[in-house]
Amino acid sequence: MQTVALIDYGSGNLRSAQNALERVAAASPGGARIAVTSDPEVVAKADRIVLPGVGAFAACRNALMARTGVVEAMTEAVQDRGVPFLGVCVGMQLLATRGLEFGETPGLDWIGGEVRRLEPASPTCKVPHMGWNAVEDLSPAGGGLGLDPGAAMYFTHSFAFHAADPADVAAWTDHGGRFAAAVARGNVAGVQFHPEKSQSAGLSLLARFLEWRP
Amino acid sequence: MILYPAIDLKDGQCVRVLHGVLDTATVFNSSPADQAQQWANAGFPWIHVVDLNGAVEGKAVNADAVEAILEAVSVPVQLGGGIRTLADMERWIDKGVSRVILGTVAVREPQIVVEAARRWPEQIAVSVDVRGGKVAVQGWTEDSDLDAVTVAKRFEDAGVAALIITDIERDGALTGFNVDVFGAMADAVDIPVIAAGGLASVADIEKLRARKGRPIAGAVLGRALYTGAIQPGEAIKAAA
Repeated sequence: MQTVALIDYGSGNLRSAQNALERVAAASPGGARIAVTSDPEVVAKADRIVLPGVGAFAACRNALMARTGVVEAMTEAVQDRGVPFLGVCVGMQLLATRGLEFGETPGLDWIGGEVRRLEPASPTCKVPHMGWNAVEDLSPAGGGLGLDPGAAMYFTHSFAFHAADPADVAAWTDHGGRFAAAVARGNVAGVQFHPEKSQSAGLSLLARFLEWRP
Repeated sequence: MILYPAIDLKDGQCVRVLHGVLDTATVFNSSPADQAQQWANAGFPWIHVVDLNGAVEGKAVNADAVEAILEAVSVPVQLGGGIRTLADMERWIDKGVSRVILGTVAVREPQIVVEAARRWPEQIAVSVDVRGGKVAVQGWTEDSDLDAVTVAKRFEDAGVAALIITDIERDGALTGFNVDVFGAMADAVDIPVIAAGGLASVADIEKLRARKGRPIAGAVLGRALYTGAIQPGEAIKAAA
């Protein structure tokens, strides 16, 4: 049975993400074991990796770097072995080249771009953005991730991923202006929304990720 | 408009009460987590949870049931009842509550709400529970001498996510509800209004939506959902 490493680096409560993954794993044909871990050896051997993240870019990045060997293990798995990878919320933002929350912080730079504060054009669109939004304008990779055009997902964030190459944006959404709801390049994907809080649409994305062969 | 199915917790069970009086409780499900999951599976995008014992006692009483709900559902949860301090809020937000509902503390110590909304913007909702035009507190066992708009106005620039306006006199009574109670608040205060108390049919959802003036952002569904008077699919369609 495949193992999914859900990276535990002290960024918020992982229970809902873990529960959602376990639920879809139980229903998936191949099954999956969900390992909540910060052990580089587990990460290095994982068949799939999920990187969550709640809070500020810099704090998450620093917490991740503080787990000795985890980034190296993730990088080797993703880049050398082609292990499918999903970043969620700040875990998605960390894929960028840099984040601009509380100064400039380098990201993993797996997908070129910057993470910048949302600046909605309309005063009725609040920051942080917390709520249900439809994903649209899917790229082929977005379709491959199991996203459906028009599906509502639950977002909770103040910053957004500005991809250097728009082709890396797998799905868009709008909150007083368009921003990336999902990014994907090769075997690396990230979603700004919380699939574990996005009901059936979110669970089906996680289910598809367990089968995803980029 | 967003619909919030309500899970009211009393002694670990999912109940409905009349006018907020705990002794009138009817148990609808002994497993609140199962119930929450049923509502989420029915397609509701949020779950509204109230710790009724907690509201009266001023501290979390049904914490285990709340945690079980948080683990069971894959939708955001808003939680109220007995949350009085910043430490209480932090604890629940860390546990995965998406929005914390403050009632009594909003009347008695509004500065705590302002501070909470500064720390957790768009994650704090204020519950304004109206009886005879005045705001009730402490699990609705006490009345304040403040009118609802006065209380709500305090939080206009604080970054509060929503005002949950409950019409206590109609809550749980299924006597049809009074759109004007919610409409007056929506028009007077620049914070999204969620209507609660007395929604008895899909027609009531349609009434909220048809109302002129500033739109009502959401509605809490209680007893009518449990008795079957409101069918989830029809309600969600009417609210969309």
